[in-house]
Amino acid sequence: MVYASLLANRYLASRVIPLIAVLAVALNVALVVIVVSVMTGFLDMLRSSGRTLMGDVVVTHEIVGIPDYERFLEILDETPGVHAASPLIETFGLVRMPYGRDGESRVEPVQVWAVDPRSLAEVTGFAEAVYWRAPTDDERAELDERDPRLDETFHKLDDALAINDPDVEPGMVLGIEISPFNSRTRRGTYRPTPSEAWMPLHDVTLSLVPVSSGGRIAEPREGRFRIANEFHSKVYQVDSQRVMIGLAEGQRLLRMAGGPLYDPDGERDENGRPLVIGRSPSRATTILVRGDDGLPPPELKYAVSAAYDRFLAELRDDPEAKVKPPSFVDIQTWEERLRDLIAPVEKERDLMNVLFSIIYVVSAALVLSIFWAIVHEKTRDIGILRAVGASRSGILWIFLQWGLVIGVIGACVGLGLGWLVVDNINAIHDAMGEAAPTWSVIVAGGLAAAALLATVVAAWRGSLLHGLIWSLATILLAAIAFGLSRHEGAVMWDPSVYYFDRIPSRVDLLRAGATMIGAVVFSILGAAIPAAKAADTDPVRALRYE
Amino acid sequence: MSDAPAVVATPLLEAQDVRKTYRLGAIEVPVLHGASLAVREGEWLAVMGSSGSGKSTLLHILGGLDRADRVGRNADGGEVRFRGRAIERLSNRALDRYRNREIGFVFQFYHLLPELSVVENAVLPALVGQVPLLWRSRRSEIRERAIDLLERFGLGHRLKHRPRELSGGERQRVAIARALANRPAVLLADEPTGNLDRKTGGEILDLLAEEHRRGLTIVMVTHDAGIGERADRTLWLRDGRVDGAPEI
Repeated sequence: MVYASLLANRYLASRVIPLIAVLAVALNVALVVIVVSVMTGFLDMLRSSGRTLMGDVVVTHEIVGIPDYERFLEILDETPGVHAASPLIETFGLVRMPYGRDGESRVEPVQVWAVDPRSLAEVTGFAEAVYWRAPTDDERAELDERDPRLDETFHKLDDALAINDPDVEPGMVLGIEISPFNSRTRRGTYRPTPSEAWMPLHDVTLSLVPVSSGGRIAEPREGRFRIANEFHSKVYQVDSQRVMIGLAEGQRLLRMAGGPLYDPDGERDENGRPLVIGRSPSRATTILVRGDDGLPPPELKYAVSAAYDRFLAELRDDPEAKVKPPSFVDIQTWEERLRDLIAPVEKERDLMNVLFSIIYVVSAALVLSIFWAIVHEKTRDIGILRAVGASRSGILWIFLQWGLVIGVIGACVGLGLGWLVVDNINAIHDAMGEAAPTWSVIVAGGLAAAALLATVVAAWRGSLLHGLIWSLATILLAAIAFGLSRHEGAVMWDPSVYYFDRIPSRVDLLRAGATMIGAVVFSILGAAIPAAKAADTDPVRALRYE
Repeated sequence: MSDAPAVVATPLLEAQDVRKTYRLGAIEVPVLHGASLAVREGEWLAVMGSSGSGKSTLLHILGGLDRADRVGRNADGGEVRFRGRAIERLSNRALDRYRNREIGFVFQFYHLLPELSVVENAVLPALVGQVPLLWRSRRSEIRERAIDLLERFGLGHRLKHRPRELSGGERQRVAIARALANRPAVLLADEPTGNLDRKTGGEILDLLAEEHRRGLTIVMVTHDAGIGERADRTLWLRDGRVDGAPEI
């Protein structure tokens, strides 16, 4: 229908209202693209951080630990699909930090990982997480020139990797957020302030509570550690709570190291001490496993569980092994392990989807009302078209085409807008975090003054409409200028709430595409109802319509 | 047609006992109660009546824009026949085609589309009747006919203008050009000079007379006896009926 296209075009080109409709659709699409991209990026970051924190599959037997874990590691080593595995002990402890009020030290509760850093680096992103090391070229480009990490004296990666070596004094790697002297810069880097507070210059004392293989809680034990380094996993909860020490030192403090095995209930020697009946194996609570590249974690989990069964069978048949490993251990993929962290975010995203469905409906209603107004305005045209023989479907088609064009243009503009914002979201956030620059206050104030002048001119000329518009503009601009002058900076993306220190800034193309299609569909639907009304209009009435 | 006696010949357009009632809420307002008339091919018929007598309604029903009352299954609201065929029985599609091909409407208030230029308004009925596939091949032919008409009506210099840039007389001439775009069988004119001053109205009537001389059948409704005189024949619509039997 040639005339339908012609009229749809003309109706689009000759009014302001279509522009408002396009704007409504565009803003809506932009909003959804921004929020969905950030939320999805957030989830992705959470997932990838999970992997760099704990590898692909985690085997745990909490508190008591897995005896003879070295045998299990050997079996894992021979298991196809396993790239590397690293043993560790997870526990909680108290750290006496080298600072505090009035020269006293301060005690912080921490989560303790006793690790073997070299194998841990193979399984997780540990080496990259160590903070005081030589920055990579990419990182170097991001650093400002005063960053301490540009100075070689601050490069102590080797110290971090050596904390479990037998011939060095016990070392500890602290989460970077534990020390309050590490001030976080806007770029997400850290600087010790004052510089004497640089943690690797200090020592700490760690207290741990050992639990025997029988599950008995013993007296707390204390060890002194020099701070070897700090780490920045970029997950705030981890950076603010976790410390790492060497596995051997952890085993010693927690009484999980190998040693003679006494018979607690049996005979005693002449001194009244229990008899040695064998060797007690050393224990680890957790084994982190990393699979070969491309192997899905669930498959790796299956292979690891088969390996554990083999380990169990081997030790059952071994008469030397007096302490048998637990028959049941937790074997989880990193995703299952991080469920507690991921599930709320997924819920939040679902909630967002619900909220945005409502916004979608609202914007469809907006488009609908705009189209309704247009159809209303065009009632007489509809009568004329019917009089010259246009069919109802032809009339319908004019307004449907209209909705289609508005939807498509709006969706494209919205995607562009959303992309622009998502791409620069950290810059925007940083700018909002600072006090507004003086020039912006001056510009806004100047515009407000100009609007005031226009109001006066309009009043002098006696135009009520222009007077009203300009006085509203004056109030708005003055409010903006006032707001800018009072704005001292606000940090919305608080890393202590949102786990990460940077806002994800990658457009989720799939969802953006779905959003665009949704916007077009809603625009067409929004146009369809008034279009159907137009098609149903009685031509005689339409002609009389003024 | 020459050898057939005129009395027997089928009228081009014929209304028989047409009834129309409007409903204003609970009140029924009868407008036409049994109006009949017949128009011969090539005739200029004027239907006179005071305002509110139902002249426009009759014209709309003749042109298939409105429908007569439907009381029962057998159309007690009367019948309109075009070349002997009852248009009430046409499907919606066929009725659209009837308005597009056979009828040209001219209204008192011109009713041009403000977004379209003069020439676009004049080709509108031709556009409406076109299938997109055939449009390209017929495009120039349609445009040329519209431009010819507009030039004949003295609007050659106004082709690209928008209706709001034209005077009332010019607008009505564009409306007539539009009505003639598809070479309709009948031109239905509803007070075509009602909104114009005497001189301009006279020019419009001259233009209609010229088209009539070229063979155009015209049904014109008006309340102005002076204008009715220009027609071949005049009927009066009083109390919803046409005075005198439909004369052929």
